[in-house]
Amino acid sequence: MSHAPAMRKLFAAAIALVLWSATFAVAAAPSDAYLYIGWPNDGQVLSAGKPFRIWFGLRNMGVAPKGVAFPNTGHHHLLIDTGLPSPGAEVPSDRNHLHFGAGETETTVELPPGRHTLQLLLGDERHISFDPQVVSKKITVTVR
Amino acid sequence: MIFLACAAASLHAGGAFAGPTAAPDNAQVYFIWPSDGAVIQNGKCWVRMGLRNMGVAPRGTDIANTGHHHLLIDTGLPGMGEPVPNDRSHLHFGAGETEARIELPPGRHTLQLLLGDKDHVPHQPPVYSKPITVTVR
Repeated sequence: MSHAPAMRKLFAAAIALVLWSATFAVAAAPSDAYLYIGWPNDGQVLSAGKPFRIWFGLRNMGVAPKGVAFPNTGHHHLLIDTGLPSPGAEVPSDRNHLHFGAGETETTVELPPGRHTLQLLLGDERHISFDPQVVSKKITVTVR
Repeated sequence: MIFLACAAASLHAGGAFAGPTAAPDNAQVYFIWPSDGAVIQNGKCWVRMGLRNMGVAPRGTDIANTGHHHLLIDTGLPGMGEPVPNDRSHLHFGAGETEARIELPPGRHTLQLLLGDKDHVPHQPPVYSKPITVTVR
């Protein structure tokens, strides 16, 4: 009596489990989730040297602080003058990627004179973007 | 590996503890939309709930300086120190929602926002918006 078939079955089961958990590694978002920048508007001209408020709009999902596992929730990340991080990767935390892990739904920023892009990206409790990605339109503002 | 997979989901049950949840003094909840005095055609509108100097968290989440929105429709503030009632005049947004689609019958209506803690109890000091009036035509 060989144990090989049983071992192979166990191995196959282990592989299946790894694949199964991998498919759940990226949190799913409802297909009608809608993330947008409520303010400023695309093309807005803002005064230099004056902080301005940014409103985070989210429809058909909820906000939860980092580390909170609650269905259909995430927290906001504001991307400034940068593109989207790759899907499934943790959102970097630096001057171009602001995290709002305390459940904030607005913020105030001050940007140097010039053209800037702003974009929102929702992350799950581990700062990983959803599948499909819940991302706002990228807007451009001019500070002068 | 099986144990790891099973341990992946963990629910945090907040322990019951007496006394109100503290809120920062500068916390402010307000209507982004509609504005006070707005006239709403056909009674359907999005309500956008704004919160400053605090964060939003779903019900049951025990994290300092967070809470979730309650929308009071045509009613005054409920008693502080007890859970916000859950009925047609007191809408709960315990899933961390920051906007809601509502429908109101024709006439004048008052709307007010009240933040609740993990147990739907207003904070200390309570965080509520000024009541606004909208008219549905």
